[in-house]
Amino acid sequence: MIAFRYTKTDGAEYISHLDLLRHIYRTLRRAGIPVNYSLGFHRHPRIFLNNPLGTGIKSLAEYATLDTPFEGEFGELFNAHSPEGIRCVRWGYVKDNQNYANSIVKCTYRARGIPPFDIGELLRRESIVITDTRGREVDIRPRIYAVERQGDELQFTLGCGEDNLRPDLFCAYLYSVYGGEAADIIKINSIMSGDQFR
Amino acid sequence: MKYMTINLDDIKNILSRVEKPARYTGGEYGGIKSPENAPFYFCMAFPDLYEVGMSNLGIKIVAESFLRRGYGADYCFAPYTDFGDAIKEAGVPLYSLSLKKPLKEFDMIGFSVQFELCYTNILYMLDLAGIPLRRADRAGGAFPLIAIGGPCTVNPEPLADFVDLVFIGDGESADADVAALYVECGGATEEFFRRAAEIDGVYVPALMDVKYDKEGRICSFESDFTPRRAVIGDLDGAVFPETQPVPNCESVFDRSIIEVMRGCYRGCRFCQAGFIYRPVRQRSVETLTKQACSLIASTGYDEVSLNSLSTGDYPRLRELIGSLKASLPCGVTLALPSLRVDSFDSDFAQDARKISLTFAPEAGSQRLRDVINKDITEDEILSAAESAFDIGYSAVKLYFMLGLPTETDDDLRAIRRIVDLIKSAYGRKPRAKSLRVSVSVSTFIPKPFTPFQWERQASGDEVEAKQRVLRDCLYVKGVTLSWSDYFTSRLEGVFARGDRKLSRVLERAYALGCRFDGWNRELKKEAWAQAFEDCGVNPDIYTRERGEDELLPWDFIDTGMKKSFFARERHRAYEGRVTGSCRRACAGCGLQDICPAAKGER
Repeated sequence: MIAFRYTKTDGAEYISHLDLLRHIYRTLRRAGIPVNYSLGFHRHPRIFLNNPLGTGIKSLAEYATLDTPFEGEFGELFNAHSPEGIRCVRWGYVKDNQNYANSIVKCTYRARGIPPFDIGELLRRESIVITDTRGREVDIRPRIYAVERQGDELQFTLGCGEDNLRPDLFCAYLYSVYGGEAADIIKINSIMSGDQFR
Repeated sequence: MKYMTINLDDIKNILSRVEKPARYTGGEYGGIKSPENAPFYFCMAFPDLYEVGMSNLGIKIVAESFLRRGYGADYCFAPYTDFGDAIKEAGVPLYSLSLKKPLKEFDMIGFSVQFELCYTNILYMLDLAGIPLRRADRAGGAFPLIAIGGPCTVNPEPLADFVDLVFIGDGESADADVAALYVECGGATEEFFRRAAEIDGVYVPALMDVKYDKEGRICSFESDFTPRRAVIGDLDGAVFPETQPVPNCESVFDRSIIEVMRGCYRGCRFCQAGFIYRPVRQRSVETLTKQACSLIASTGYDEVSLNSLSTGDYPRLRELIGSLKASLPCGVTLALPSLRVDSFDSDFAQDARKISLTFAPEAGSQRLRDVINKDITEDEILSAAESAFDIGYSAVKLYFMLGLPTETDDDLRAIRRIVDLIKSAYGRKPRAKSLRVSVSVSTFIPKPFTPFQWERQASGDEVEAKQRVLRDCLYVKGVTLSWSDYFTSRLEGVFARGDRKLSRVLERAYALGCRFDGWNRELKKEAWAQAFEDCGVNPDIYTRERGEDELLPWDFIDTGMKKSFFARERHRAYEGRVTGSCRRACAGCGLQDICPAAKGER
């Protein structure tokens, strides 16, 4: 098996999760990298992606595991056949499915456009209730792990997977309170519980 | 050179809140690459959604024909209403997919017109591009040439007042010839238009005047030019894009498409495509194999579709399938979407997923099938169904039409008989699943350049009565019946046989909010009714029976087929006489000089 980290930028951030899977599959076919299939009644190529990224959010840290007998320069071959913005940045052989959908527990993002505010005050709060995209009230405070300012950028780490918090929702909350408007939200790191390949 | 482009990050707020934003971002793998500072930029526009347009092979051929000559080419699809409204409100002009260049900045915008219900979408796209809709309102302004091409342009008259150029027939060369002429003439000069009008396949509406009599019927066409349909002689050597963009989001036909043949031998009397793509021209097994391999390698698709109007009539189909299987990487499946029952062979269907098989008897009774020259028998339908069942199919889809000339209720009830025979054929052997039959009945629409071009289109009351007959007789377990919306069929019929007077109606309908008329949930019936009323145009004028001595709005176009041939075929229809395939005998449509079948070639 091969695990790899890849980007979703330059317009590819608007590709939906299901279409992304198709694109990776077709990239592999064009590259001539064979993929093993599941053995069930509805056979499907064994490509495993991390949790879906909200459409429109860029990322430098998407992960996938691929069940393949391929031995060779994977990254270069992948990049020679991948669509714009989907680029393998690191890869390695792994023993089994890294199950990134479960093992990635937190993600770090960067955004511009949010004016300076009292970060300490935000993090001291015990609960922050917002209305999510489906109109439900949720307390997002437990899902915020770190917030820091770096120049004109804000860097923040939010929960992923079971206690997921969308970075655009978090930013929308920030600018509803502090003004400004978040631009260029980008995932820069995925933090995982296991570390067979990083 | 002015060269404004749209930056995706600037419209991020719009992209983030619309459905399927990947429709509007470009960046497809294998996307179109134009040369920089090309002498001419062509925008291939498609007046329907990205996922529909991306499945169309024709637009890729036309775009390729410009690229091969060193010109720039790009695509633009009709944005769905959410994105369209948002860019209009934000003042962002409609832009092309790869270059992200506003449409206004191209030298020519060519719309591919696939069916009549996308006419308002052409106006919608021009409007979003900030281009005046009417040709007269663009005079003297620095606007691109607005052109249309595709099957509907055999009667371009309802669109004539909006466009500068009409491309009729095969798009492989005429379109790019016009670009060369434009460059030579230094722009859209009078000389350019007069010389363009002499090119085969080009019609310049501004150079023709239509005169009407007191009753509003056409009495003459006044022009120095006779527009002729472009017909390429050598399909095998014709321009074909051997790499094609892979859509960002799933398209309607998400697979590689090769065009096995152009045209159809059958001459079914209702079928416009069966006439306007004549004569039948084939590609060789060798060329098709090469094209399929190149497409599979460059796209990563795992399916190749063998397209044509009737792929079962390709004489070397078995050889082609063998060659494709031997040359394509393993795991690539073949799809044969247009098999007739009399050419159905279980060997051909083996590869496709065995879910549902579609047959199109078109009419229930043999009498009516003879009238429409659908040269298949009940036995052929049944034996095709049985061989499909034997290889594992358990669902059949049957296509019929209602409102055909000479049709009676007995003809409709004969559909029930076919369903019963298919059911008993299924029951003849023990099968694992129960049979599902779906019967889909559309409304017959008379189209230009067919033997039925003079026919009256059935009225709403008649169609409703016919649908009731079908509902009563097809209320059977395991059978589902669906039918087309009458309003939609009527609108399609009006524009299919329409004239220049309809341009005002189109403009009014668009102003009243009509667009995506082919999509049921978008069709605004009241607005259309109001548009006809506001313009004082009675749509019934267009659906009535036309006299054979009458000048029809499309009669000025020379498609190579004779009006007397269509009349002869119409009379044979009334006599219930089958003409049959061009391969059996030449029916003398007028194209004998350029028709391989007429010369006895196989």
